[in-house]
Amino acid sequence: MGCHRFLNTVSRRDLLRTSATGFAGLALAAMTGQSGQVHGAATSGEAGLAQVPHHPPRAKRIIFLFMWGGPSHVDLFDPKPTLAREDGKQLAGASVGSDRKQLGTLLASPFKFAQHGDSGVWMSELFPHLSRQADRLCVIRSLHTEGNAHGEALLRLHTGQANLVRPSVGAWVSYGLGRENENLPAFITISPPRGHGGVQNYGNAFLPARHQGTAIGSAEIPIAQAAVANLGNKRLSSDVQRRQLDLIQALNRKHLDQATADPQIEGLIANYELAFRMQSTMPNVMRLESETQETLDLYGVDQDPTDNFARQCLLARRFAESGVRYIQVSTDYTWDHHQKVKEGSITESAKVDRPIAGLLEDLGRRGLLEDTLVLWGAEFGRTPMVENGDGRNHHPRAFTMWMAGGGARGGMTFGSTDDFGYAPADRPVHMHDMHATLLHALGLDHKRLTYRHAGRDFRLTDVYGNVVHDVLA
Amino acid sequence: MAWACLIWVVAWLPLQTARAANSDDGIEFFEKKIRPLLIERCYACHSDREGTREGGLALDSHSARLAGGERGTAVKPGNLDASLLIQAVRYADPQLQMPPDKRLPASAIADFERWVRLGAPAPQDDDAPRSTPRSSPADPLAGREHWAFRPLQPSGLPAVKAAEWPRTRTDYHVLAGLEANGLQPADDADRRTLIRRTYFQLIGLPPTPAQVARFLSDERDDAFAHVVDELLESPQFGERWGRHWLDLARYADSNGLDENFLFREAWRYRNWVIDAVNADLPYDDFLVHQLAGDLLPHDSVDQRDRQRIAAGFLVIGPKVLLGNNPQERIMDVADEQLDTIGKAVLGQTLGCARCHDHKFDPIPTADYYALAGIMTSTEVMQQRYMLGQQRVMERLVGLGAEENAVNAAYEKYWRESKTLQERAKQGKAALELLKKNDQDGLKDLAEKHAGVVAAEALDADQQPPQRMAAQEKLVATLVAAANPPAIPPRAMIPGDVAKPKNEAIRLAGQFDRPGDEVERGFLRVVSDRKFELPENQSGRLELAAWLTDVEHGAGNLSARVLANRIWHHLMGRGIVRTVDNLGRTGEAPSHPELLDALAAQLIASDWSLKALVREIVTSRTFQLSSRHDARAHEVDPDNRLLWRGHRRRLGPEALRDAMLAVAGTLDLKPMDSTVSYLGDQATAVGANKNRRRTDFPCRSVYLPVIRNDLPEVFDVFDFADPHATTGLRPQTIVATQGLFILNDETVMDAARAAASRLLVEVQPPSDRGRVTWMFEHLVGHLPTADEEQQILAFVRATAERLRSEGVADPDRTSWATACHALFASSRFQILD
Repeated sequence: MGCHRFLNTVSRRDLLRTSATGFAGLALAAMTGQSGQVHGAATSGEAGLAQVPHHPPRAKRIIFLFMWGGPSHVDLFDPKPTLAREDGKQLAGASVGSDRKQLGTLLASPFKFAQHGDSGVWMSELFPHLSRQADRLCVIRSLHTEGNAHGEALLRLHTGQANLVRPSVGAWVSYGLGRENENLPAFITISPPRGHGGVQNYGNAFLPARHQGTAIGSAEIPIAQAAVANLGNKRLSSDVQRRQLDLIQALNRKHLDQATADPQIEGLIANYELAFRMQSTMPNVMRLESETQETLDLYGVDQDPTDNFARQCLLARRFAESGVRYIQVSTDYTWDHHQKVKEGSITESAKVDRPIAGLLEDLGRRGLLEDTLVLWGAEFGRTPMVENGDGRNHHPRAFTMWMAGGGARGGMTFGSTDDFGYAPADRPVHMHDMHATLLHALGLDHKRLTYRHAGRDFRLTDVYGNVVHDVLA
Repeated sequence: MAWACLIWVVAWLPLQTARAANSDDGIEFFEKKIRPLLIERCYACHSDREGTREGGLALDSHSARLAGGERGTAVKPGNLDASLLIQAVRYADPQLQMPPDKRLPASAIADFERWVRLGAPAPQDDDAPRSTPRSSPADPLAGREHWAFRPLQPSGLPAVKAAEWPRTRTDYHVLAGLEANGLQPADDADRRTLIRRTYFQLIGLPPTPAQVARFLSDERDDAFAHVVDELLESPQFGERWGRHWLDLARYADSNGLDENFLFREAWRYRNWVIDAVNADLPYDDFLVHQLAGDLLPHDSVDQRDRQRIAAGFLVIGPKVLLGNNPQERIMDVADEQLDTIGKAVLGQTLGCARCHDHKFDPIPTADYYALAGIMTSTEVMQQRYMLGQQRVMERLVGLGAEENAVNAAYEKYWRESKTLQERAKQGKAALELLKKNDQDGLKDLAEKHAGVVAAEALDADQQPPQRMAAQEKLVATLVAAANPPAIPPRAMIPGDVAKPKNEAIRLAGQFDRPGDEVERGFLRVVSDRKFELPENQSGRLELAAWLTDVEHGAGNLSARVLANRIWHHLMGRGIVRTVDNLGRTGEAPSHPELLDALAAQLIASDWSLKALVREIVTSRTFQLSSRHDARAHEVDPDNRLLWRGHRRRLGPEALRDAMLAVAGTLDLKPMDSTVSYLGDQATAVGANKNRRRTDFPCRSVYLPVIRNDLPEVFDVFDFADPHATTGLRPQTIVATQGLFILNDETVMDAARAAASRLLVEVQPPSDRGRVTWMFEHLVGHLPTADEEQQILAFVRATAERLRSEGVADPDRTSWATACHALFASSRFQILD
């Protein structure tokens, strides 16, 4: 537990308000995220923090595919012959290192597992498309975290902590690396959950506001109907709006002339130009019409049941191409199979299998996979024990995530769980370790990526986290 | 006490043994394995070089390691059992486990053991001469030297050269600071700028052109004082200044964090605060209400309820609701409350002392747990039945004469709702059986479900219509009982636990590692005085009194904190800019004598907020023009000395309210709940599609504050994050703000409404008159000739363009687009 409450020290943001000299450059940098943030030192250009990267990066950006609700690892990536043999028997706590006598009745996976690719990565039959990308995957079976309920676990997954408001992973990445494209935010979250922490899961907390994730729609809205708030005017033609903006800026400049030098007025002027540019850039990136039919088919756009997630994945690729640093894609809250885990897993896998495989394939052939790290996972896994007759409960003690591209070691299976998939057996990877590893892949040292707030340096991993070097090539 | 004064147990050390072990191999082992471990996992709390010596132990020199700390020898070369370091890293003794956050990996423990067995070898130069132990930063006695803890220093008026300039005491202090740096104050702001500034700062609304005109034509010497008095008495004052407190109280209409349940009753607290500010309830009394309103005596049910509602302050914080351990939750809740009280009232970061003695400020862990005992002797959570399960939720108490009876009845319904619904269903099934004349089925049903078939209906001797009527009557009763009753009036209120008790220090802040118990009490940096807390109460009343006790409590500190906040809100920057931190890591005051004078005045005026606002606003300093001055900027670029007024950007509430005011659509009537239509889930998630509304025409202070789902305008324009106490809102410049102003429908609606007004109100119609109307209403100024020309040219060209685009009503739309542009301009958004 770190010490966690803080004062408002005068931040660079406050300094911006008060120092008039040389503001224009500083303000623009602040708004576009181009500048360094450390100790008030402003630099222009595209860099994030001045001392970044801390070491040679293997990836320039991350796409995180979030399966909201918690898929069952023993039904997807972590085959357990013993579990199959002991179906219907009690799981004795002693056999998996638990103090409790009995943990519940074991439930075998109904799915067939097979090894795929040259590397022989195991996957269940639910991922026929993804299995053809097996040699690209680095499957980590020994993830573990805290939080038995979704809300706590989601916050830990996205921000590292649950009982305090902390910046999310994407915000840290934006803070560390800055923007590649000055007209787009560095952190975009496609269809984020509104519940279980909601905006906190892509919030900037005490980091400057520009590092907050820009949301496109929300989980319950089909992506085809989603939009970024206020990214365009529904009443005025672009011609009229451009004239209007000219008037606004003329009025502002007159005000500025009168005031002589005022950082706030200067900031406002620069900001309108940025907003207007963003308004013209972003919708173009979001337009899928320019994609070929072959590409659309590759992801499963306009097909059932893949259309929605396919569009999300395709958008993710387009943002990656346009220089966005951290892109999250979320399913709706559909992976929480307390009942009918078999049927649920079939339905949900079918929605995402082809889009994810298509994304990997597409990134690969465009040369983007080399420096784009794709991460798949959720807030936790599910119990090897049965719940409600045919379901599985939440399980933060052990679960699977996988990475691909961007320096991840393809065709690898890392870590393991015990015979039942209950607890990590070999090479446990805590969520903090995963965060440390993600940052490491981007050239960021999780111990040095800090932000001075309230008299203390804060970091994503608090006082925890070890980089799992072995999963990186 | 042991943790405050570092007692050094210096053992006799067999140095010879240690040195004998110093073969090259041994030292290499130390450098490769041991030193990195020490640096990585131990020095943060045990290093002389870092100035951290928790428990009196340092580990960064050979002799210090051998000497050990309060508990004894840390490292005894060659002897594992006598080396406390080994005991600690082995985690065998629950009272001695290091590092506290996470056990070392087995390999590291083995390395330590091997090293001690080797004789704890270390290089010569590692044994740096030990510096004299300095007193810990957390030492309360030494801490009294910090400026914020010193008594208020009375000072006379400072001598100034420009003796004709100052109007109030404030002005003397500010002028003296300027003159000492060779600067002079800017001119006074012109009267239009001044009245606009004053209206926004006092009531959060722009003056109407009529109000401006009245002030401009008022030739009395004290015309401005009249305006100030009027605004202080206006009910809108509480809506503006109550919101400042609500920022500190992390006010919200939902829990936030992991489970975002609705705080259906929070609005009562919000409105209480607004009323209290309007009534100018003295701050000392105000704080007693905040912390212990539920414990105050009362003469009426109404008074009791109001006092209770005020104490909602303690209940309204965010809490992890599905956390696993109740004990952990209790400590987390207490921590959240102490953090809030510490920052909001005392300007101190108390939370830092939860895990270790404060590293910067004079707050030992013992003092933290002395306060925590008061909070953990208070309940703010309770078991309730909601969304089909028993949950731990915010504590609610019924209001009115019936108080708990209605609350209990309501809760009972939710516990039993499934049964009640089942009974209604069975009653209806009986009706069907009756219709079919299935006597056997009916009997069967009556046996299985007692009370769902009317006796008369079961009686085969009765006529069918009578039987039907009897059953229908019963079904009506059953259905009525199965419908949720109206939600009774309730409020979020704390209560003392049955048996208040002291709290134990938690080692490394971990709830399950209790150390020594400490008596409930207050911060010793403030005074040594022993306060007797009642055995049968939490001690909140005493804590509240202590906070503003000028003689023996933290009154002087609290007065400095509040005076600085009032200054911050009026002037745009605090005398101490880090308004929530007057500790050692906060900023020093730019005008210490002035801050003390204002604090003293606050106390002398019986803690009247309005009196201090009046004092500051009527100073000449408040009225300074914000005009730039190159030379002064050179000397004091941050304007710390106040050579001019600070420009201030409108916050989201003022921005929205001002637009609606100009549009003529703002309803000044206070609101009760604006979240009553929401279900128990405050955010749309899963099956729940219900989301907070923001389309109320009321003032912004009444809009729903759903944690993690703020109204868009709040979110974009730096509203206080309601998860934590916020005295200084962030001030960002981000693209979403530009996008909001340019494209948001509510902004365009307001612009259109303003255009409709100007088309009607400017009589006889004239385009120049309309431009004047726009400027007077939107920005409180007359347009310059240039500006007038620009607007006129824009309106004409735009109307033409719109006409060619086939837009309906091109003239109105064109004027609306111009009004919209003025809303977007810096003149509207930034106060001169």
